[in-house]
Amino acid sequence: MLVLTRKLGESIAIDDHIKIVVVQIKGKQVRLGIKAPKETKIHREEVYQAIQDQNKKALDSSHQGLDALSQEFEEKK
Amino acid sequence: MKIETQRFGTQEVNESEIISFPEGILGFEGENQFIVIDPSDSTLILWLQSIKSPEIAFPIIEPQLLDPASQVQLLPADLKSLSLESSTGATTYNILTIPADIKYISANLKAPVVINSKLKIGRQIVLQDSKLEVRAEIYNQLKTAIASAKSAASNDSYRTRFEAQNSQANNNVAAKNTQANNEKANPKEVRPSPSNENIAE
Repeated sequence: MLVLTRKLGESIAIDDHIKIVVVQIKGKQVRLGIKAPKETKIHREEVYQAIQDQNKKALDSSHQGLDALSQEFEEKK
Repeated sequence: MKIETQRFGTQEVNESEIISFPEGILGFEGENQFIVIDPSDSTLILWLQSIKSPEIAFPIIEPQLLDPASQVQLLPADLKSLSLESSTGATTYNILTIPADIKYISANLKAPVVINSKLKIGRQIVLQDSKLEVRAEIYNQLKTAIASAKSAASNDSYRTRFEAQNSQANNNVAAKNTQANNEKANPKEVRPSPSNENIAE
């Protein structure tokens, strides 16, 4: 991994079209500004983690829950 | 060909129905081939079943069943990754999580599974809209969908009729959206065009 030191207001350019600026430093928090082409996907890493976790939970979908749903449907019919 | 599944036993699969997921599903990068199984039960839920792993099957639902106006906003790069020219050739599903207490059933609206119906290529796409939830509770919406199904004579005719209506409705929505997008930027889209300046909080 490439590690660079930046000061407040300084930036990093990635390829020709992506720019990351240090906007604010406050204690343990750093605010970053990201300038990128519209098609670039930018997400907090936690978003991916949350999706992976949710996918795992989806696999464990409960037969009991499904049965309850079918039953509800039958009752409403 | 025949495949083994944990939920549906041995299934006969037509090879033309197999959908390839070059990047797998998030967290399941090694699962690259799936089929959509319709158990033809009363729940409106379909299953995205792995070809190679019997135990891997994600419950999925068409988002239009929960919200007829729902429209997935795909970026040009998303479309390109599926060799799509517009979102009209795409079939979208939300992955569901079904807990023992059905009242807490949830859908992942943030990362739908999008499939190029013609070429049979799929990807789980993380949408940019920050208001979309990974775990959106949908019990009430599902109940409404089930109630609509109730009024139809049979589930099968309901589905067929729904799909016909829906494709028409979708076209209308798509046309309107294109118009709206031309007139002004979509308010849901946080990013300014053509470049964006997202600031992480």
